[in-house]
Amino acid sequence: MTDVSCLETANLSLLRELFASATHDASAAMCCWTNSLITLTLDEVCEIPLQNVCADLNLGDEPLTMVVFDLDGGTSGAMVLTFTEQSARRLAGSLLEAEVGQGPGWNELERSALTETGNILGCAYVNAITRLIDHQVVPSVPHFVVDFAASVLQQALLGQVHSTDTVLIGRTRFQHKDAELDWWLLFIPTSDLRTVMERGLPKAR
Amino acid sequence: MITSLAKEQNKETAVGMGQAVVVHEPARLTSILGSCVAVTLYSPKLRLGMLSHVVLPNGNGNLAAPAKFADTAVPYMLSTMQERGARRSELIAKVAGGACMFGGGRFMDIGESNARVAIALLEAARVPIVGRDIAGTVGRRICFDLSNGNLTVESPGHPSRII
Repeated sequence: MTDVSCLETANLSLLRELFASATHDASAAMCCWTNSLITLTLDEVCEIPLQNVCADLNLGDEPLTMVVFDLDGGTSGAMVLTFTEQSARRLAGSLLEAEVGQGPGWNELERSALTETGNILGCAYVNAITRLIDHQVVPSVPHFVVDFAASVLQQALLGQVHSTDTVLIGRTRFQHKDAELDWWLLFIPTSDLRTVMERGLPKAR
Repeated sequence: MITSLAKEQNKETAVGMGQAVVVHEPARLTSILGSCVAVTLYSPKLRLGMLSHVVLPNGNGNLAAPAKFADTAVPYMLSTMQERGARRSELIAKVAGGACMFGGGRFMDIGESNARVAIALLEAARVPIVGRDIAGTVGRRICFDLSNGNLTVESPGHPSRII
């Protein structure tokens, strides 16, 4: 990321620990689901000015394939799993043990496979957060979306943009064996959930 | 909040959420929109234009970030353009964005509300709205060309169009 104001608060390292634990659980779930050595690593926990969110996350201005869900009806934030089209097709092909589709568009089975991937990842991540801070966070039904990442992020941020000009984002990256994958998992808690997490952090230690 | 000059190197400036940019030609202003709305004002005579990337319909008295809210963005744009020498009578406006993205949930009306408030205020100010590309369920990538006032709109799965 460029021009990002990373958190300097005393809670930063604790938030990192919390997100890293959630990422660890999501990584284990991903290994089971894909039956392969796909691992997740926490990449960044940053507070980004609203106007820089899309540029700093460097998600580009081409459409991406995404699985999105909100948390507690949007009052607690959102999670977004992003893939380039090529990597999404490769994953769908692998999960379905089928030839990689060439498009255009996605058939029902491919959508379902990718949506379920997001569901498994997201639920594992959110369940870990819930357990660690002793506060239930409930994800919505996941939505499969092919669109500009910036457009999707705008919707994902609606629950908090009125009251704040900065956004806390935890970004997770993926690897298959030693190779980096162009997938990203963005965890975007609202300031309300952030407060709850910070209060619950001692329990997480 | 406001950037008055486009980057010298490529004359193209990305306008982020809640930002406003006013600039003379030759320059292009770009944004990617979901539920957000881009409001543009353009003076064909001066080749001067302004784009606000509106996030929410109402600021409820919050004046710290005028471009972020439709109800403050439009008056802010009108006064800024007038300060730069553009008469209100020569201004034309365009509005794009305001989609209802995936699911929607409790925010499903935000995009529509953003567009509705901006349009109402432009109409009240008697600024002709000469182009609209609003609502729908997909995002938009827009490019505002200050050399002619054209607003190019692209959406995934749709042909690009100029309004």
